[in-house]
Amino acid sequence: MTPRLTRIALGVSAPILALLAAFAITSLVLIIAGDPVGDVWNTILTWPETRNQSNIIDNGTVLYLSGLAVAVGFKMNLFNIGVDGQYRVAGFAAAVVAGEAWLPGYLNTVLAIMAAMAVGALWAGIAGVLRATRGVSEVIATIMLNAIATSLVAYLLRKVAVREEGSNIIATKEIPEGSRIPNISIGEGATAEIYGFVFIAVLAGVAYWFLLNKTRFGFDLRATGQSTTAAVASGISVNKMIVTAMLISGAAAGLVGLPIIFGDSFSYGSTFQSGLGFAGIAVALLGRNHPFGIAMGALLFAFLDEQSNRLQILVGVAPDIVAITQGVIVITVVISYELVRRYGVRLEQRRVAQALVGAGAEPQRPLDGSQQPPTDGPSDQNEETKA
Amino acid sequence: MSTPAPARAGTAEIAVRLRGIGKRFPGVIANDDINIDVRRGTIHAIVGENGAGKSTLMKILYGVQPPDSGTIEINGEQVALSSPADAIKHGVGMVFQHFMLADNLTVLENVVLGAEKLHGIGGAARDEIRRLSDAYGLDIEPDELVEDLGVGQRQRVEILKVLYRGARVIILDEPTAVLVPQEVDELFGNLRGLKSEGFSIIFISHKLDEVLAVADEITVIRRGTTVSTVQPTDVTSRQLAELMVGSELPSPSTEASTVTDEVLISVQDLTLTNADGRRLLTDISFDIHRGEVLGIAGVEGNGQEELVESLMGMRHGARGTIRLRGDDLTSMSTRDRRQAGVGYIPADRHRHGLLLESPLWENRVLGHQFRAPSVKHGMIDKTAARADTERIITEYDVRTPGPDVLAASLSGGNQQKLIVGREMSSEPILLIASHPTRGVDVGAQAAIWDHIKRARREGLAVLLISADLEELIGLSDRIEVILRGRLVGTFDPGAVTPEQLGSAMTGAEAQA
Amino acid sequence: MRRSMKLAALLTAGVLSLTACGSDDDGESTNEGNGGDAPQSDVKVGMAYDVGGRGDQSFNDSAAAGLDKAVEEFGVDSQESEAEDGEAETAREERLRTFADAGYNPIIAVGFAYAASVGKVSEEYPDVNFAIIDDSSLADSSNVASLVFAEHEGSFLVGAAAALKTEADHIGFVGGVETPLIQKFEAGYVAGAEAVNPDIKVDVTYLTQVPDFSGFADPAKGKTAATGMFDNGADIVYHAAGGSGGGVFEAAAEAEGWAIGVDSDQYNTADPSVQDVILTSMLKNIDVAVYDYITGVVEGETPTGVTTYDLSVDGVGYSTSGGFVDDIAEQLDEYKQQIVDGELEVPEAP
Repeated sequence: MTPRLTRIALGVSAPILALLAAFAITSLVLIIAGDPVGDVWNTILTWPETRNQSNIIDNGTVLYLSGLAVAVGFKMNLFNIGVDGQYRVAGFAAAVVAGEAWLPGYLNTVLAIMAAMAVGALWAGIAGVLRATRGVSEVIATIMLNAIATSLVAYLLRKVAVREEGSNIIATKEIPEGSRIPNISIGEGATAEIYGFVFIAVLAGVAYWFLLNKTRFGFDLRATGQSTTAAVASGISVNKMIVTAMLISGAAAGLVGLPIIFGDSFSYGSTFQSGLGFAGIAVALLGRNHPFGIAMGALLFAFLDEQSNRLQILVGVAPDIVAITQGVIVITVVISYELVRRYGVRLEQRRVAQALVGAGAEPQRPLDGSQQPPTDGPSDQNEETKA
Repeated sequence: MSTPAPARAGTAEIAVRLRGIGKRFPGVIANDDINIDVRRGTIHAIVGENGAGKSTLMKILYGVQPPDSGTIEINGEQVALSSPADAIKHGVGMVFQHFMLADNLTVLENVVLGAEKLHGIGGAARDEIRRLSDAYGLDIEPDELVEDLGVGQRQRVEILKVLYRGARVIILDEPTAVLVPQEVDELFGNLRGLKSEGFSIIFISHKLDEVLAVADEITVIRRGTTVSTVQPTDVTSRQLAELMVGSELPSPSTEASTVTDEVLISVQDLTLTNADGRRLLTDISFDIHRGEVLGIAGVEGNGQEELVESLMGMRHGARGTIRLRGDDLTSMSTRDRRQAGVGYIPADRHRHGLLLESPLWENRVLGHQFRAPSVKHGMIDKTAARADTERIITEYDVRTPGPDVLAASLSGGNQQKLIVGREMSSEPILLIASHPTRGVDVGAQAAIWDHIKRARREGLAVLLISADLEELIGLSDRIEVILRGRLVGTFDPGAVTPEQLGSAMTGAEAQA
Repeated sequence: MRRSMKLAALLTAGVLSLTACGSDDDGESTNEGNGGDAPQSDVKVGMAYDVGGRGDQSFNDSAAAGLDKAVEEFGVDSQESEAEDGEAETAREERLRTFADAGYNPIIAVGFAYAASVGKVSEEYPDVNFAIIDDSSLADSSNVASLVFAEHEGSFLVGAAAALKTEADHIGFVGGVETPLIQKFEAGYVAGAEAVNPDIKVDVTYLTQVPDFSGFADPAKGKTAATGMFDNGADIVYHAAGGSGGGVFEAAAEAEGWAIGVDSDQYNTADPSVQDVILTSMLKNIDVAVYDYITGVVEGETPTGVTTYDLSVDGVGYSTSGGFVDDIAEQLDEYKQQIVDGELEVPEAP
């Protein structure tokens, strides 16, 4: 097998392994709980109808953006747990800007999206600056910022909110028709429409891939994530990278709530979906921070979420089983990728060693006739290389 | 070091007998037919170059790795050691080069950790620690916090840990690497005390003067196998060195001088103070000319690392000035310094030189993200970077199937050759080479020496830091000795002997 | 954290065993009810609960009680589904659609969070009847019944009771989540207290802000808030905080003060150890509303439009279990009459 094929095979085997393990573990949970295993899987694995497909794509879009935001941080070993707060602050800002409609039509939309990204970046940037200048763990800082975001948005929402007669929901002003992003029909009827924002999400994914893999900035970011010490020695300013990475992560987080705001609710209200940032962490883990993997993870999570109602109403099983399945998948994916990764590294070390021994690895500049092959083994396994 | 010559080992009983030990790693033979007898009540030194297989051997003897072949006998009884616990059960203890102590615990807590069953964790354990400390002159107070202890004291805590667990054979892996000279003397005093109590000490080192001073017997390992066992009184340091590297000592010696009078780098009054106010570097000043190699000699931990990192801009807070051919580097970032023409071969290539889990071509880009061929208009130029990696692989003889394998899969020597090739490819003005041949095989070592000589010929200024005095003497045009963060003496490598350098490094000369 | 979890678990367990109405038992009895001489009906009721679902000791349970009564009496078939925390709007819509597709009619949406989804789905399924609790924004829909309550009126009465009973002239209000709905409770309570004593001091606090709805299910938070008020000199605390109310009761027991329950008669449902501190409860008879609605459907006269459950129809009120407010019952009933007669206007917002 060529190295490339090996790599692809390893890459594919990890998620398949993980899903099979998750399937087995969840089944075990169902058996122990005394729930009908067959019916549950039957229901979960039903091919969704058109309107469910559109729901899956819609929710997948939202989760995808959240996953991207988290992944930017993950690539640099930054745990941006604050996507949750960032998207809410940003979504609120976007809804207010769009609702006020200072600019006409799509200019208004663009302005609102920019505002959301700026606010998200700013909110995440606080944690970045704290980490870079004061060494405050970004985990702690973003958790705190989440709590502050909740209160801040609640406070501001009460200030600006309009309340529809008879409703107990308060929300920002509705976005004017001309600034909404039209939905795209994928079938018949109003329920078979997906967010137009899905294109922006795809664009964000491409931008993420391009930024990380093609640009110097992306290289610096990945290098810092792999080894801070090597990054420092190579001339990367780690502090600057921390702040920049948090800003980008926050800007991406700013997009998370926008598909809903521009495609469905047209305002930010007290029932605006929460917890998307945390779901994004799971999705990013699932997708191994790869833009395509994140998309798969997001769709898988959206798919499982979509089956939750059917499970309750048609099979009578508590919706928690969906949450359990999702959790189990994340754990099995993380474990199986790590196992496969280690196996892959060992495999490659062996392959390299064999290739060299096979090729007759006599030193190019023998010092005397008795020279032998190198004795200092694969780098990290033996000898005083760490001295 | 004015210690009396050790007593010759008599016909004491054999405490440890190794016969035909072999150990292979994929594609590499780390140990092959190792035979050693360690007599009871002696200090037995095992010497060899970095990468000769000493550490692998000790890991086998301590049960960390099983041997592929051969037998281990302890006190005449053949044993199979499958874990450190097994080794301890058979009375073998090991003191690692990197201490394994929890800073926020007391000595007592550190010692009893994992050995709670022996004397409990309270008064009985404290009494036992005091008894051991008194009996062997270790001067350890059980209730002190480890974080308050000096390096030498910590090492004695490690020794005490081993004694506490009932070891009769104590392996010390490069114990002097982290010590200042006074501490080395204290350590040797302790070891002689233990020896006289019937303990057997296995002392691993590549510092020949120390080995000659303290050992009763010396076994030389070369390329994974034992080549000879000698008495310290029968050999000179030079002979021992020749045994270590083979019959013909590969000489790093430089060709005719290429030194010019054009100063490329000038360091003035470089002073570095750490957060606690302790001086790490004091008034370091030197010039390196075009075509000159300046060697820095010193016992590890005397400021070499701090000096290099201050020059690279990786460590902040240094005062003084650094000028590189007219550019003032003093307040520049690491990246700007690299841009200005500083190449860097780090001492710890895993921590500072490589992205182990990235392919070689990405490692080619590392540190050179601002110049062709790695990068064009802010974009990583993969094609060009790969092509240039191929060039380095050929020119610098990096043994690899191609530029796409992960850096982690290369051997240390090949990793190092890649780094040398990478740093040379940016046509630097100054090359900082910190322990460039540490942990690499002899072939790679010779190759790296050649590259440094070539750099000198091509008119670079080279700053060479090394613990290998032969290497320093052979390659340098001038040697400065660093001791406790100061440059304490300048030597002409053509006239100096390793012994003279050694005494300057330990401060013996200064005291005299 | 762990301790508070344990506490909550203990509390839940205690209350469950006391009321002896585990959700599973009820679910099964629903199906069994179809056999034998039990009454039969073709009506299939779909219940879409808010977060917490059946067993939340509060709002959802009250709705469930109404459903259970209807099942028992009419033998209607029923199925339930509950919202998950932080779910998407589409998930709520999909819940209603799945019910509709599976033939459930009527579908009762418990909680104002369903307003948008009921509005949308009721248009998609014009032949299916929907009911929504705590929302009247869909008043004009031809197949939606809005069941709303005059919480401010009931709260007025317990506010008056608190003012009459307090010895410190200092009382408190703990709201679960600061939403317009809960602010209605606050407004009525404060107005009632001030009607009795214009100089009374009323401490007001909310446990969480939207979108964090945990204030309805966190007894530890409730206890902390109420303890603060008691320490500050208040001697009676009213909670409109759902499951967090358990903590308020504990705080009252420890401070030897009084607490006022909400939604159902909490003297009967709370842990016996705190029973004696529950002065009264503001009754919000969601069960009555649900039962009435299903009755209407079964009898073929599907209700639509807004039905307001206020004091005049005993949709809200105060409880007398324990007999602690018997001495002031006369004054309270007088206020009630004034409100019913329209002589007294109770504010809906603070």
